[in-house]
Amino acid sequence: MPRLMDIGLERLVNMLNDMATLSRTAVEAAVEGFIKGTPNENEVFQLSEKLRWLQDEVADLAVELIARYQPVATDLRFLRSCMEVAYGFSRFGRYAYDISQVITTFGELHECEKNEVLETAEVVKTMIEKSVKSFVEKNLELAAELEKLDSVVDKAYKNHLERSLNKPGSKKCDMATMLILRYLERIADHATYIGEAVVYILEGQHRPRK
Amino acid sequence: MTMLKKILVEREPMDLSNGDRVVVETVGLTVVYGRKYAIKDINLKFERSRITAIIGPSGCGKSTLLRCINRMNDLIPDAKVQGKVFYRGLDIYSKDVDPVAVRTAIGMVFQRPNPFPMSIFDNVAFGLRVNGVKLTKQQLYEKVKDALVKAALWDEVKDRLDAQAFSLSGGQQQRLCIARTLAVDPDVILLDEPTVSLDPISTAKIEQLLRNISQDYTIIIVTHNMQQAARVSDYTAVMMPDENMVGRLIEFGPTKEIFTNPRDKRTEDYISGRIG
Repeated sequence: MPRLMDIGLERLVNMLNDMATLSRTAVEAAVEGFIKGTPNENEVFQLSEKLRWLQDEVADLAVELIARYQPVATDLRFLRSCMEVAYGFSRFGRYAYDISQVITTFGELHECEKNEVLETAEVVKTMIEKSVKSFVEKNLELAAELEKLDSVVDKAYKNHLERSLNKPGSKKCDMATMLILRYLERIADHATYIGEAVVYILEGQHRPRK
Repeated sequence: MTMLKKILVEREPMDLSNGDRVVVETVGLTVVYGRKYAIKDINLKFERSRITAIIGPSGCGKSTLLRCINRMNDLIPDAKVQGKVFYRGLDIYSKDVDPVAVRTAIGMVFQRPNPFPMSIFDNVAFGLRVNGVKLTKQQLYEKVKDALVKAALWDEVKDRLDAQAFSLSGGQQQRLCIARTLAVDPDVILLDEPTVSLDPISTAKIEQLLRNISQDYTIIIVTHNMQQAARVSDYTAVMMPDENMVGRLIEFGPTKEIFTNPRDKRTEDYISGRIG
């Protein structure tokens, strides 16, 4: 017989699935806007706001479940992780919005080389997919893969930063690319934290961060 | 007899300098009622200044285990205790040990408040009087007051110590019983579901008083209320009946770990309400 709390836990998972879809859409839209040079700040902002609102909903429901049922063990760890995961998805939305603002801030960027952003964005999209899947399926292997992919994104950002610093006179394209890579790097970090939340649910341990 | 007297009657202060805080230890403890095993092979250590909760579903032998620790099972016909129970290294089931002395050193509070039909003062003084403790009237008053203060009842009864104990509320009666136990200066306090018949406010008061006095005693509490175990205890022992309905210890550890990351799946299922 399902417990009363299980109904609430199922609702939480559904809300997080919604957040996963929205956050993925937001990041994809923001990157596409930059690549195609089509400003879509308002569209991405709406998605980001929805994610922030859903994050509050998840936290409210998690707190309600704690107050009502005093969960312990896996249930308790799951609820704590739900709040962390919801925060992660909400950050995906916020950084997507930051990416979409780059075009507004810098204006026309058609002449810029965009391969580096495109390649990094593909890795980040994969990370978002894997973070969502690892959480939904409680999959430790996928969670572990996130850490490796995070290093790839970190490296892309650092390489670009070093190159830009060594170039005489900073250019618009360099700055725009650097900002976007920085936002993608932060999204990758949060995808990795979601993987860590999965490890915590399953093992009850926090693995040391690099 | 010297060791017995030192341990059970004089109860010399425990030497904690070597880091050994174990006051009570059960080794291979097994209880048989007639031909039916109630608990089997229980190995546990209970430490000074710590509260240990014993949890588990009905019929897993929690109360049986608790009653072994101050030889209350001696009073049950057909109950046979095997294995050892050590109190400060003394086997309390050895032939030369007086069970009454054991029960003075290791006091017990029961599920339902059971004050005696006498005044509040006399209830608390009862143990001191029957144990033949020689005290002046003033010393007796101070002892009673001290026990009532520790039991967080003094402020509520100090102006009516001559009133009948039954005039108190259920929660007050239970705190009176705790004061009665404390008055004889025990070393270990056993509590068998002490708040099962109390309202949440009275329950909270008892839990608070247990935390307040825990530094000076070894406290062992049997409870069906998992949240109570989580709130009040430092360590938790989880018992579970096996396929023959014999109570077994399945997990023991710091309460924080038991309630956040238990090692045994049966513990996880029980405390999460999936079984039991």
